[in-house]
Amino acid sequence: MRSLQREPGVLLALLAVIVLVAVFIVYPQVRVILTPGDTYVEFFTGGTWRNSLIHSLEVMALSTTTAVALGFVYAYAMVYTDMHWKPFFRLIGILPLLSPPFVVAASYVILFGPRGVITYGVFGQTISVFGLAGIWGVQTIAFFPFAYQLIADVLSRSDPRMEQAARNLGAGSWGVFRTVTLPLSRPGLGAAILTTAIYVLEDFGNPALIGGTFTVLPTQAYGLISGFGDLPGAAAVSTILLVLALVLYFAKVRLDGPRSFVTVSGRASSMPRPPVPAKVSWACFASCLALAGIITLVYGSLLVSALSVAFPGNPTPTLANFEYIFSGPNGTALQNTLVFGLTAAALSSLLALVAGWLTERGRWRGRRALDLLLIMPAAIPGLFFGIGYALAFNEPWLDWLDRGVLIIISMIFWNIPVGYQAAVSGLRQIDRSMDEAATSLGASSLRGFRDVLVPMLGGSIRVGFVTTFVRAVTTLSVVIFLFTSSSTVATIRIFQLVSDLNWGRATAFTVADIGLSIAALGIVAVLARGRIALGGARA
Amino acid sequence: MPDIHLRLDHVTKKFGETTAVDDVSFDVPRGSFATLLGPSGCGKTTTLRMIAGFYDPDAGDILVSGRRINDLPAHRRGTAMVFQDYALFPHMTVRDNVAYGLRVAGIAKDERERRVNETLEFVGLAKLGDRWPNQLSGGQQQRVAVGRALVLRPEVLLLDEPLSNLDAKLRVQLRWELRSLQQRLGMTFVYVTHDQDEALSLSDWIAVMNAGRVEQAGTPWEIYYHPKTSFLADFVGAVNLVPATVRDARGDDVTVAFGERSLTVRAPAGVALAAGTAVRLCVRPEALGLARHGASNTLPGTVARRAFLGDLMRYWVTVDGREWIVDQPDPGAGSPYDGEVSIEVRPERVHLIAES
Repeated sequence: MRSLQREPGVLLALLAVIVLVAVFIVYPQVRVILTPGDTYVEFFTGGTWRNSLIHSLEVMALSTTTAVALGFVYAYAMVYTDMHWKPFFRLIGILPLLSPPFVVAASYVILFGPRGVITYGVFGQTISVFGLAGIWGVQTIAFFPFAYQLIADVLSRSDPRMEQAARNLGAGSWGVFRTVTLPLSRPGLGAAILTTAIYVLEDFGNPALIGGTFTVLPTQAYGLISGFGDLPGAAAVSTILLVLALVLYFAKVRLDGPRSFVTVSGRASSMPRPPVPAKVSWACFASCLALAGIITLVYGSLLVSALSVAFPGNPTPTLANFEYIFSGPNGTALQNTLVFGLTAAALSSLLALVAGWLTERGRWRGRRALDLLLIMPAAIPGLFFGIGYALAFNEPWLDWLDRGVLIIISMIFWNIPVGYQAAVSGLRQIDRSMDEAATSLGASSLRGFRDVLVPMLGGSIRVGFVTTFVRAVTTLSVVIFLFTSSSTVATIRIFQLVSDLNWGRATAFTVADIGLSIAALGIVAVLARGRIALGGARA
Repeated sequence: MPDIHLRLDHVTKKFGETTAVDDVSFDVPRGSFATLLGPSGCGKTTTLRMIAGFYDPDAGDILVSGRRINDLPAHRRGTAMVFQDYALFPHMTVRDNVAYGLRVAGIAKDERERRVNETLEFVGLAKLGDRWPNQLSGGQQQRVAVGRALVLRPEVLLLDEPLSNLDAKLRVQLRWELRSLQQRLGMTFVYVTHDQDEALSLSDWIAVMNAGRVEQAGTPWEIYYHPKTSFLADFVGAVNLVPATVRDARGDDVTVAFGERSLTVRAPAGVALAAGTAVRLCVRPEALGLARHGASNTLPGTVARRAFLGDLMRYWVTVDGREWIVDQPDPGAGSPYDGEVSIEVRPERVHLIAES
């Protein structure tokens, strides 16, 4: 505390962060929770939420189980075996992290829908693929790559030396895995399962596209607002969603600490792991090949659809869809996506960096509380966050505020945990003697931060920036209540075009959106000389 | 009256329930090489960090040149520090590291370059200015760390175990470099170490700390030959501490009894020893002589074991069921002792410590 008084610059920065967090993280959430007010009683006794809640839990249990199971196989294969094609599988595993979350649903409709390539084209059937089974299948494919990234991270953190030691003491490869690797990584695996469950629970795009009458909590909240203008009802439903997400999130934090984002890094293990039997290796290779095949099919069908007049009915190649998305208001949407994403990523990283420094290096009271608030958006469903912003900032006296600015602000704060946690973990790796050296040479702590810590945090800043950008350009649920026609973004246009069953244009937009993410990642990877790193995106 | 440069006045620092530094006071004269010596956890680094401004004392004052600096932020204290791990900025070259403090201070470019060059020359790094820290050896990094702090001509230079990450030979060499630097510049150094050899060989003044308190402060000579407590005697160098009782105290002479033997030695300064007081004889191993059995005025004993240390032979000799350590210089001059021997005790080499 005394050190703060001596450095007014730091105190000012701290106050600024506290005000921003209060206004843009705490206040919107409080608004949502308070909005239903007296109608809570009526709402809960009415019971319209019961079906959605049951559906949400059902879907969460099913999709999480299968996604984690597949993710585990993929991760085990990548970390433990020396199978072929690893670089290819790694690439395939990253692709879904760079996409809007609902691409799987979109390609699922193209492949299995009423006029689907496979169901209608191959089998001549028009079976109903919507509802629970559809969501389950789609979410399994959509989220197993996330589970894979999380589990691979956990498994690769287990120490090869322990495994070598177990082998040295006579355990077989299955024995080592069962008695050493698994027990050591159990908390990490538990956390990975819970994180995947949060992704599934909060998923809005997939159930919205293929849920049909099967509503889950996010789609019910959306339906209440867009169909009935029932803001209190939507707020109440989202609050249920928030409570579930927070329960899962804090259970996860208890297991594994607050690290909640999938990160891919070029970290190479220094010591080889004991080899696994060839049979296991081949089984893993076959499984990965099958899964990679499905992912390839998903993205391939999107690309083919984007390049066709009306796939699958009329597969004549055309560039008309791409001409459409680059023209007029659609071009604006793409441009907005890029501008909003870059601005949000830059400002979010900057704010996160300062906030991370204040909480990690500061010695003032209350920093634990600020830390909690800064990681909290990681647990907040995007839809809840978006409704909060709509409630808090769609006020008449704020009419002068451009909606684009509001979208940028929502992206900044919804993603702040990404950059914040990157900054904090980066700072933890820099010994305090670095700060003290600068201080003892006459630099104020802000000056030392700027001259010494920020240059040393390059890697963490890049992780935060790319991940925030990717999440910003792929989010649908956060912005769906905030856009206007002049401030629309790619994900919104995709959602609208899909609703109009305009698949060619929707998929072209999707391809362009994924292209933006890949380009951002590529540019930063080149700048960082190949050391890529990013965090996972979600709905 | 010496010119007091740094003064700690009843300084206390607590971390939660533990008192890391407990009511510490001392004065460091201007231009002296002062060392805080003690085992790990004794509070020496905490004391140094309070001087640097990284910790705030809970009580007491810290004064530099008579001015209280408690409320001065760390970066305005003019107490540049050399860190144990050097804390060189990895993204700056050697030259930029050394120039950093001057740049922060807003020193003009010409003046800055002149002083950086001068300092690099001074610490023997003139040719390595454009290297990066990770391209330097440990000893070179250590010199950069010292140069980076020296270039600012700080009021007081603080050094936190700056040699502990180096191998033994280099450590000894850099000791002399540091000492000669300090003497050429006439600057006040406050040096923290747990290494007694380092403390003895470098310092003008040593404060030995234990459990947050200064046990004794003084010249290396005083600390080594006239320790006030058994802890001190034992911590600084090898020592024989033999329990004894004061039989008779008259003027400067004290007669003490241990076992069935007695010895008349000089009374320690400033301690009143009445007859019957429990004391310890404190004799350094190298102050004892060893002879074949039977010499007169000696303690008869048996060699229990011995260790060849190169420059000397260390013997553990059992006398009346108690082991004495005796060092004999130049072991190569004769064949080692074995079996029955006699220990030669010169009364003027025996120091008395009152049992507390």
